[in-house]
Amino acid sequence: MASVSLRSVSKAYAGTAAVSDVSLEVAEGEFVVLLGPSGCGKTTTLRMVAGFVQPSAGSILIGGDDVTAVPPRARNIGMVFQSYALFPNMSVAENIGFGLRERRVPADQAKRRVDELLELVQLSGRGGASVEELSGGQQQRVALARALAIRPRLLLMDEPLGALDLKLRESMQIELHRLQRDLKITTILVTHDQQEAMSLADRIVIMKDGRIQQVGSSQELYDRPANRFVAEFIGKNNLLRGRVVDTGAEGSAVRLAEGGVVRILGVVGRVGDFVDLSIRPESILLGTTPLGAANVLTGTVQDRRFLGNIVHYFVKTASGGTILVERPAVDPGAAPGEPVAISWEPDGAVVFPVGEASPGRGAPTA
Amino acid sequence: MNSAVQHAAAAGLPASGSSPAGRAAGAGRRGRRDPRAVRWGWFLWPTVAVSFVLLVLPQLGFVWMSLHADLGLGQTGDVVTLANYREILSDPFYLRSIWITLYLSVATVVVVVLVGLPTAYALARMSPLPASILLGLILTTSLITVVIKLLGLNIILGSSGMVNAALLGLGIASAPLQLVNNEAGVLIGLVQYTLPLFVMLLFSVIQTIPRSLEEAAEIHGATRLSIFLRVILPLAKAGILAGSLITLNMSMGAFTSAILLGGGRVHTMPVLIQQKIVQSSEYGIGAALSTVLLVFVFLLNLAVGAWAGRSGGRARR
Repeated sequence: MASVSLRSVSKAYAGTAAVSDVSLEVAEGEFVVLLGPSGCGKTTTLRMVAGFVQPSAGSILIGGDDVTAVPPRARNIGMVFQSYALFPNMSVAENIGFGLRERRVPADQAKRRVDELLELVQLSGRGGASVEELSGGQQQRVALARALAIRPRLLLMDEPLGALDLKLRESMQIELHRLQRDLKITTILVTHDQQEAMSLADRIVIMKDGRIQQVGSSQELYDRPANRFVAEFIGKNNLLRGRVVDTGAEGSAVRLAEGGVVRILGVVGRVGDFVDLSIRPESILLGTTPLGAANVLTGTVQDRRFLGNIVHYFVKTASGGTILVERPAVDPGAAPGEPVAISWEPDGAVVFPVGEASPGRGAPTA
Repeated sequence: MNSAVQHAAAAGLPASGSSPAGRAAGAGRRGRRDPRAVRWGWFLWPTVAVSFVLLVLPQLGFVWMSLHADLGLGQTGDVVTLANYREILSDPFYLRSIWITLYLSVATVVVVVLVGLPTAYALARMSPLPASILLGLILTTSLITVVIKLLGLNIILGSSGMVNAALLGLGIASAPLQLVNNEAGVLIGLVQYTLPLFVMLLFSVIQTIPRSLEEAAEIHGATRLSIFLRVILPLAKAGILAGSLITLNMSMGAFTSAILLGGGRVHTMPVLIQQKIVQSSEYGIGAALSTVLLVFVFLLNLAVGAWAGRSGGRARR
């Protein structure tokens, strides 16, 4: 097990930056997920840690050793590939034992280790099978076992669950999480699936256009997104544009484009500045009569979607914008076409100044 | 769903029968054919008919002719005899011809594999545009008639040709090397004749080996040599074998390269057959030679096929 440090790592292809100035510290035994849309540089970053891609600038350290110039095979890394990349000419056991044979581990010792891993991934007795006989989920386990067999310092996974169907993916997530916990192996996983990232990661690294947008736990990213991109990428969100009309010790007041003046916590910019309010659908109350919270808007229910435990309401405001409200199914709610009042508490909104990259501190940490 | 669509769906079923379930269902129906099933087997008949008329009949004529003694002036005897075969299999001259043909062909395979495999690998791992340009060039050159290519080779390989001039100029050779009108010339000709095909065949084989397999091998500790021996070679084995067999067969039967670069002095079997039949009108012995070549090549292919099938089956188990 080892820690990983990326120090100002960049990669440019023919002048275009794929990864720009990425710095990241991964602690020993930590599970870090690189998350972002396609083309955000997460895979390139992972491949630089693996050694398949040479950084244009910066350095990579594994366990404190600078490995920037070390070839992949000498980095002592286990890796699970997107398509598993199992060797079709080898049996399950031969696949798992591949790295052991390359390391000239004595045959009896290697066999014991392979049996151990077959048991770990619940494929005992299937060692002699051809990998093509296995289901997608089983192939995934073999790929994981092959990566773990060499007792790597670091485990890398490139969209490991992407090829599985939803049910299987969820059960593999649980299993992967348990394995990582038990083995305490430092792990970096790449995915574009935010649900997967949130259920697996100790910390999530959100990337966009080759840059890190925010690093934090699932909850930190959800509750305190650093910028609009993160707010929109993680979970569902309502973004409301407004203008600061008052600042004070109690907080600020913002006149929304949707109509009405609402209160926010803290001070963001000065009077006259434009701001964006990011409000989670579940932080908004909805009723046919104004109730509860401080900030109130009125509108009409345009659409109502029953999703089992929760209901989504699409509320059209007076100015024509649509706000998504998520309420428990047990709430009385409202029917499509009904006029409603929606409201939220000042601490329910995260505020971003418009036209600036730096985050606003609309909702200070509790 | 209207009936026409239903009918189309039903007719499409046998075509998708490659799935295990489809195969099982097909096996269950054996004996009582689905009247709507497309009988793909019928498509084989035109090929069988053409092959029979253009290939099997003339060969049978040849075999028949080979069983008669030559009387000179293009006449053959009436008596059926194995004399021609006895002569071929006992005369050192003919045995040597079989041997030369075989070892030149095997040498060609060795050279073609050694040169063609890395070439095909490099092309398959290149970005698509340069690879398709280079493959296009290989295809174009391989389509130029072999006579023109060989005449070109004759010129540059001759004792005062470019190759010898370069070797002498660089001090590598002290006297011009004999590169044409001998076995070396035939070998060069055979390599140039078969190499493009081998490269194109192996290109498409290696392209099917995902890059990620190499990366998986590399990150789990494999050296380049180990990646080649444990991943690429096993996965390309069937393709290499097929390419080698094609190269061998083309070389065994190659006449133009052997005659033009061997200068008529290298008596491979195709050269001998041409001399016997066209030049000296000894149809009996010529026909017997070609039958021997045919049977020999056929047995060779069977043997390699059987060996590959056995070792392939073992690997899968």
